[in-house]
Amino acid sequence: MSVIEVSHLTKDYGSKRGVFDISFEVNKGECFGFLGPNGAGKSTTIRHILGFSKPQKGSIKVLGYPSFKKYYKFLNKVGYIPGEIAMPAGLTGYAFIKMMQDLQGVHNKKKLDYLLDLFDLKPNVLSSDTKRMSLGVKRKLAIVVAFMSDPKVLILDEPTSGLDPIMQNNFINLIKEEKKEGKTILLSSHIFSEVDATCDRIAIIKDGKIVSQFVANDLKHATKKFYEIYFKTKVGYGKFYDKYKKTPFLKILRNDENKKMVFVEIDDKNINTLINILNQYDLDYFTNIKETLEDYFMKFYKEDVSYKGAF
Amino acid sequence: MDTIEIKNLTKDYGNKRGIFDINLTIKKGEMLGFVGTNGSGKTTTIRSLMGFIKPTSGHCFINGKECWKNASENAKNIGYVPGEIAFPDLKTGNEFLKNQAEFLHLKSGDYANEMTKKLQLDTSANLKRMSKGMKQKTALVAALMGNPDIILLDEPTTGLDPLMRVAFMNLIEEEHHKGKTILMSSHMFEEVQESCDRVALISDGHIIDIVSMNDIKNRPCKDYKIEFLNKEDFKKFMELGFNAARVQKKYNQVTVNIKNDEINVLFKELKGLKVKFISEIPYTLKRHFDEVLKVENN
Repeated sequence: MSVIEVSHLTKDYGSKRGVFDISFEVNKGECFGFLGPNGAGKSTTIRHILGFSKPQKGSIKVLGYPSFKKYYKFLNKVGYIPGEIAMPAGLTGYAFIKMMQDLQGVHNKKKLDYLLDLFDLKPNVLSSDTKRMSLGVKRKLAIVVAFMSDPKVLILDEPTSGLDPIMQNNFINLIKEEKKEGKTILLSSHIFSEVDATCDRIAIIKDGKIVSQFVANDLKHATKKFYEIYFKTKVGYGKFYDKYKKTPFLKILRNDENKKMVFVEIDDKNINTLINILNQYDLDYFTNIKETLEDYFMKFYKEDVSYKGAF
Repeated sequence: MDTIEIKNLTKDYGNKRGIFDINLTIKKGEMLGFVGTNGSGKTTTIRSLMGFIKPTSGHCFINGKECWKNASENAKNIGYVPGEIAFPDLKTGNEFLKNQAEFLHLKSGDYANEMTKKLQLDTSANLKRMSKGMKQKTALVAALMGNPDIILLDEPTTGLDPLMRVAFMNLIEEEHHKGKTILMSSHMFEEVQESCDRVALISDGHIIDIVSMNDIKNRPCKDYKIEFLNKEDFKKFMELGFNAARVQKKYNQVTVNIKNDEINVLFKELKGLKVKFISEIPYTLKRHFDEVLKVENN
């Protein structure tokens, strides 16, 4: 069953800004990743899902309820972390937590204590005014508040932006646990390692449109591999290059005579052929270049930046 | 004389917070990465170099001049991007950059303009309404416009989106190629690994390790993970006596540690065996520091 259903969502803010004909769904127990740079439309989409904005075209349902009209039917089942955290003034961390617990109508002390411990929020920090908290502490408090009522659905807009690697790791573990419990999660993020570690499916958004939607494992277990082969001698390099530059199963994508290197693409099923070929050469070094989520993402944005990566 | 010298620097804030007996030197033209969790002392070290903080004990020097006493003189040679950016109460990015240029007695704004173009920064935007990325870019332009020899960057890419990070890092690497001396703190191992000459790891106010990226990249051995299509070939390979770092029998997988000049021997032996895949497990900065910390904790 799809818990979040976005179909043909359009919101045109003019001057090509907004979101255009966005469709995706997030199923129960699934973590769906939403990748895109600032201004691509991630937050706009998320704010529509929560019912904060009215779609110009298309429809959105959360737990079966239309977002804009019936948001009050599902909001108490949704944990939300906004992209920019603004906390009410004049409250201590503790008072803010209490206020949110009362609003959520859930006081789950066990979960709360677990989360405070996980994100290392100590009493001396929580008894200070939210205004005086550092950005990192505010972020961590927002995470705790979103998860503490144990909601069925979690909508997270760049939840760990600015947290250090240890806290990011704790966050990843938390997401994995929540998934095991059957929670449905929408995660928008800049941090590739985080999306890589948690998401089942991923959408890439560019200029308000979804340009790619795919199963995360398909990328991880791709059978197409890329290798850099360095030869000991120029002669060996030249011989290999001349012989295989037009071979269909062994595509030479790049070559560098000075480095005596060829960069090849080959499918796993042909790896034994490559090994047999390389046996006839004197090699200096052999390595594979993985296509990471970041590489894949950058392909869609290639024209915008002078990308100097592997591809 | 090294461009940046930190000698036995301690700033004790009590409750075990602060930095303790830090020793670090950065040569002219070198780019040093500085990694560690929040609260480990990166910012305190950088602020000491700027002369904002009086050390409890020890000293730090920029071009031989002690940082606390010569803060304003040293500042002329330093471009600094702080971790949390607070701009003066001015309307636009332009106004701020003009102010900075006057402050630095710059005759021309050409270099600032060149950078804003490269970063695709709209400097006419309202300073207060700028997004995190725009503020960060404005701060970088302000820090570099005077063409300083020394650049101190406190987590310059934290919170930036991937495209901005690439644009930002390209600009910093250009400065590095021009021969600037750079200290950059970061959360991201990948980032410092790609751009820095050496990297220091700080934890709880102590420098745990300093490593040269050349040593990380050019190791005498490599790890290769190999999976075989069937049990028989896996067994045959295992009998050859390669140095196996990890064996996963269930998957017919083995990770072997191979000296660089043994690569041809490996391929020779693999010939005739049915290989499903072979991939190198790179020795990364993260892996290096994980191993250092493991030793440290035992």
